Amino acid sequence: MEILLIGLLMLTGLMLGTLGSYLFRAPRVVGYILAGVLFAPDFLGESLGVETTEWAQPIIAVTLGIIAYLIGGAVTASQLRQLGWTIVTATMGKVTGSFVAVLVGFSLFGLAVTDVPGWSLALLLAAIATTTAPAAIVAIIHQYRARGPLTTTLLGMVALDDVLALVIFSLVLAAMESTGFAAAIPAVIWEIIAAIGFGAAGGYVIERIARHLPEQELKLVALLGAIILLTGLAKAWHFSPLLAAMALGFSTRLFAGAHSEPLFRPLEQLQEVVFVLFFTVAGLHFAPAVVLSHAWLIIMYFLLRAGGQIVGAMVGARLAGAPRVVSHNVGLVMLPQGGIAIGMALMLTNVPNLEASALLIVNIVTATTLLTETLGAVATRFGLARAGELGQATETNKMRGAT
Amino acid sequence: MKTREWLNAHPVKALTVAGDCSLQDAARLLLDDPEGRDLFVLDAEGQVCGHLGFWHVATLLLAELRPTHSLRELVERITLGSVADHMDDHVMCAGVDDHINDILYQHDLFQQHVERRVEDIPVVDEQHRLLGVIRLSDLLRDAIAGNDSPKTLNASRTE
Repeated sequence: MEILLIGLLMLTGLMLGTLGSYLFRAPRVVGYILAGVLFAPDFLGESLGVETTEWAQPIIAVTLGIIAYLIGGAVTASQLRQLGWTIVTATMGKVTGSFVAVLVGFSLFGLAVTDVPGWSLALLLAAIATTTAPAAIVAIIHQYRARGPLTTTLLGMVALDDVLALVIFSLVLAAMESTGFAAAIPAVIWEIIAAIGFGAAGGYVIERIARHLPEQELKLVALLGAIILLTGLAKAWHFSPLLAAMALGFSTRLFAGAHSEPLFRPLEQLQEVVFVLFFTVAGLHFAPAVVLSHAWLIIMYFLLRAGGQIVGAMVGARLAGAPRVVSHNVGLVMLPQGGIAIGMALMLTNVPNLEASALLIVNIVTATTLLTETLGAVATRFGLARAGELGQATETNKMRGAT
Repeated sequence: MKTREWLNAHPVKALTVAGDCSLQDAARLLLDDPEGRDLFVLDAEGQVCGHLGFWHVATLLLAELRPTHSLRELVERITLGSVADHMDDHVMCAGVDDHINDILYQHDLFQQHVERRVEDIPVVDEQHRLLGVIRLSDLLRDAIAGNDSPKTLNASRTE
């Protein structure tokens, strides 16, 4: 039955996503999530005999590994240098700002109303709050043909901040899974060292193997096999699967040098499939009763994340001497949050001791994704318009033509 | 037919560039030669160390960012860098004593084109220095003309 459900989820998600986008100009993720809600156990899922979503865990683990691999291989050290100091500090400011704001806010106000243990809700939500949705932001830039210093900074930041987000989330998760503060430190150190070690070694091996695999199809088998193997080893030997997959991507790119495209392209083509799965499975977990009874937590998360990243990015950009047009808008234009946040939240549903908070977190993040993909997109457009960068790509092209 | 003989019969000027050259300069080189679709990157010793095709240069300099682009492609387009940052350092080369048919047999041209959009096959000497290129269009022209079809090439090889 689960196989039938996956097929239905993907096709219904695709249909609702594209129809919503075509008819109402709504982000496709809204359609994906609605498709998941439609097949939730409380609705059509019951008639299909699907009462739990545990079957989805291996799929989520592997697909999140694919995303982490692609994020790890997205930026090289030399590209990082070219991106410039402003982008690095603004990204660090944005990530720190959203993390601290959500952590402090939920620690002060959130714990009193939820039945989740200790700091877990605040810490996990703070870690998830650091992510953004690059595709949603690039869609706005593309649609309004934006160009200028803010747009360039923004593009550099969306490429970087999910790297930091994955690192923070992995560390938080490692600390949460250990028992007590004293046990957390060695556990976190092991999670980092083992993950980076296995990931880096895996990247070297994959690059060597790929040299003997001329066809893209064979490279895809090797890459998927490596990610699945690494995810399995991470579970067996208790190190972070996300950090390991990210290290795998980074080292593969490093060892492959300029010839890295064939080692990423096959998996990049799977990215939309991965996100359809994330959003539809998140929709399966979507519980209207949970959302309504915790509506204020959702609003609080949205506002704290937005406020934290606006202030953090502004401080980070100002520290690097960015112009006012960049520093005052860069946090605002990065509000959209999407697939990676959803994937992280779904991953929690399989973590022992976190079941109590996982369902709540999935619902908070899913509801916030709907908010940020719609309101956040408006904010992105507003920020770019305030910076005077909308339509500048057309102007630049006209000037090129004139000269 | 050996590649040495092919180069004599079909002399083609190979387009070469240094790794630290900008993408704009690389584009100018390609545009100056209307038939040139491939740039070969040479190191200080004159050895072939990379390849950059017309399509790759054009997309890097012209293509607008789209939401379907991956993060890797996004970063690639906002940090243009030099030729060395984008070149393909696995270059399929032929030796001067190789047979044309062997080259076509050993290298899957379709896959080469899908992955790297290579149209010129570089011919190198023992020190891996570039001697010339075999243009795919010349191979095709000869094949359909029947003058130097694969069958004829096979025959000349076995003689």
